[in-house]
Amino acid sequence: MKKMMKKATAMTVMASMAMTLFSGAMVANASEGAYTDYSEGFPERVTIQIPVYDRAFEGWNVTDNYYTQWIQQEFGEKYNVNVEYVAIGRTTEVQDFMQLIAAQNAPDIIFHYDMPQAVNYYQEGAFQELDLDEIAYYAPTYYEQLGETIQKYGQLDGETIFAFAGRDAIYYNYVNLIRKDWLDQVGMEMPTNREELEEVLRAWQEAGLGNYTEQLWQKSFTMEYPFISDDVTEEELALYLDLNVAPLTWQPTEDFLRTWNAEYNEGLIDPEFYLNKEEQDWKADFVSGNSGIFSFYINSSTDVITSLLANNPDAEVAVMPATAKSPYGNANYYEYPPYGLILGVNYQTTDMERAALWMFLDWMIQPENLFYLQNGVEGQNYELDEDGIAVPIEGYDGESKLSPNNNKDYYALVCEIANYGDDELNFKANLKTLAPAGYESLIEDSYNTQIPEDGIVTPIFTKAIESSSEYASDLNAMWQEFAVDLITCAPEEFDAKYEEYCQEYLDGGYQAILDEKQALLDEGSYIAE
Amino acid sequence: MKSDAAVKAGKKQKPKENMALYLKKNWQLYVLMILPMLFIVIFKYGAYPFLTVAFKDYKVARGINGSEWVGLEIFQKIFNHKDFGKSVYNTLLLNILDLLFSFPMPIILALVLNEIRCKWFKKVTQTLLYLPHFLSWVIIGSLAYQLFSQNSGVVNILIKNAGASPIPFLQDNTWWLISYILIGVWQSMGWGTIIYLAAITSVNPELYEAARVDGAGRWKQCLHVTLPCIRSTIVTLLIMNLGKMMQGSFERIYALSNMKATQYTTTIPVLVYRWGIESGKFSEATALGLFQSVIGLVLVLVSDYVAKRLGEDGLI
Repeated sequence: MKKMMKKATAMTVMASMAMTLFSGAMVANASEGAYTDYSEGFPERVTIQIPVYDRAFEGWNVTDNYYTQWIQQEFGEKYNVNVEYVAIGRTTEVQDFMQLIAAQNAPDIIFHYDMPQAVNYYQEGAFQELDLDEIAYYAPTYYEQLGETIQKYGQLDGETIFAFAGRDAIYYNYVNLIRKDWLDQVGMEMPTNREELEEVLRAWQEAGLGNYTEQLWQKSFTMEYPFISDDVTEEELALYLDLNVAPLTWQPTEDFLRTWNAEYNEGLIDPEFYLNKEEQDWKADFVSGNSGIFSFYINSSTDVITSLLANNPDAEVAVMPATAKSPYGNANYYEYPPYGLILGVNYQTTDMERAALWMFLDWMIQPENLFYLQNGVEGQNYELDEDGIAVPIEGYDGESKLSPNNNKDYYALVCEIANYGDDELNFKANLKTLAPAGYESLIEDSYNTQIPEDGIVTPIFTKAIESSSEYASDLNAMWQEFAVDLITCAPEEFDAKYEEYCQEYLDGGYQAILDEKQALLDEGSYIAE
Repeated sequence: MKSDAAVKAGKKQKPKENMALYLKKNWQLYVLMILPMLFIVIFKYGAYPFLTVAFKDYKVARGINGSEWVGLEIFQKIFNHKDFGKSVYNTLLLNILDLLFSFPMPIILALVLNEIRCKWFKKVTQTLLYLPHFLSWVIIGSLAYQLFSQNSGVVNILIKNAGASPIPFLQDNTWWLISYILIGVWQSMGWGTIIYLAAITSVNPELYEAARVDGAGRWKQCLHVTLPCIRSTIVTLLIMNLGKMMQGSFERIYALSNMKATQYTTTIPVLVYRWGIESGKFSEATALGLFQSVIGLVLVLVSDYVAKRLGEDGLI
């Protein structure tokens, strides 16, 4: 009897389901009904762990400060959520994340700025698949702004894996500082290509001033960009450009090494450039007057210029155009992809925590919250100028002080920089927030000499490249050893050595990576822009 | 030898009630021992189950139990790796050189210190010699570069000012090897003397008197009394050092290496770091570490056996 009843009910339910399916209204209802509404707060306390880059700023507690408390107060208490920040060392982020993942103790979001490493986390099984409808349901504003980006770039092996922070506003803060006073002293113009740069370096050498140096290329490989000529095909770019693996066997890299070799042997390059393992070392060379050029991501609180002036009150800096590094006089540079941080959700995160995550992102992307997080308290941290741009008040040191990089590591979850809605305003805002007071012209010059068309976007593969995570660290060790030897060897030895090293590099796993990438290119599994 | 052991064994065989009494009397000592025992159980034995990672295709997110069992595949892979042979060779080379130079130094130093009669001078010297032991390798490394780098090092600036050409102490393969060994000797020799000095103080003074009566000078006393008396200490330490032949300090290489002199810097600990920490290949790193430990164990057993055959006490 009971069995028959069950059958009958089942039949009725199925029939009614079929009916509603036809009516079409069903679809909308289901997607709404599938998710629990938490807009009144969660029934029980939910804890979400959010990673934040720890850049070792002096006197700044990354996980507990005015703004994390404000977030807890404004968002956490409203929705019954504990927002717990987890510090991730900026220079050791991959190790930190890997160890946290291995200890099954990773935060709910795992992020990285570059795609290849984000894919590595995916290959370790650290992420769960994302549900676009769910994001749209819990984070409508966030989804409205970034949904398309997620759909376009967030796919891997046919599943949605990544969410993103936005990168709308024009923002380029990589500047090449050059010692203007040295240029004047030897009576030379600002160099605009590699040949002119070498002339300047020769003049400096004769006058006993300083040399050229860089930081040893150990990761995020972009050193060959200025040597990419216009003849290079799209396909070559797709095959060789890779932030995680240095393209030793590629023509631009060979040209880069050959140029450095010649300059090194002529004494134009810091003879111990390879001891510059950290950016700090390069900065120290510049500040102490050993080297005359320093390239870095500038922001308003940088101490490069003040330290330089403390060492040498007569020093004067100017922006060297990016073209000066290129033999072709082009300004090829690593153009950011159209997104900021790449976010993956920890495979251990529960449904409720994930809902809280989306709600958190949605809360943060609300203009009033984002503005507060980016600028602080009006009248204390900043004043609004006539354009509505928040201008930082110099020397403010109260309790609502922003972090030394203007809280970027907190709001980076949803965007890279303040967006005032149009390019002109954004440009004005950048001048005020990126340069130390009085040095706005550095940013202006930098924008003027950077030619937008010269940016090269590294293509993204829509499938994971297995051989890359397998060989990348061994290849990296080889690359550093080979590059230093190729630059410091006698010019006549260069050809033989380069050939030998290329072979060893290919055998050591690079050929496998190239083959796998070529196969993905052939089947069209990549996004070029 | 044998009769000795028999006597010892005989002493140990106590009636049970005596044992209880003994425990009751000395329970504080056993309580004290709990802490180090716990340390060893938790951090040494507690880690054993995780060695299975070496036999699995370990993916962090899947956990140890969830990862696929692949048998000896990982070992095959690391043995075929191009850096494997190089790292074993370098590890052995650096350790043998260390054994040749760093091991005898504390003995010589202890003998010399023992001969110093002026008390305060001896104390000051000892303290100065211990100091480097307390510096971390990172600090020693940056000190080394401040002093010895080819262009900006203080020593080379002095050499240049004297009109000679600078010496690439750290930036040429052979020189690097020499600097590496000498810096190691400097860092460890003072600390190593402690054990030998302790052993020397336990030498029976009557032996020295007898030697003096026989007309031995200080040199002869040293050679025929002190050295033979601390021989068993030397052998014990030698065996322990031989067990470390396949190991090596990662920090020491990491702090002293640079990309110009790389011939000797790829060692087993460096590979474990590169694979395990830098690129998250935990299986490979564990397998290599396990291989290293097994060889180390074999070396200890062999040297222990040899020492016993030579009539020494040995470790086990």
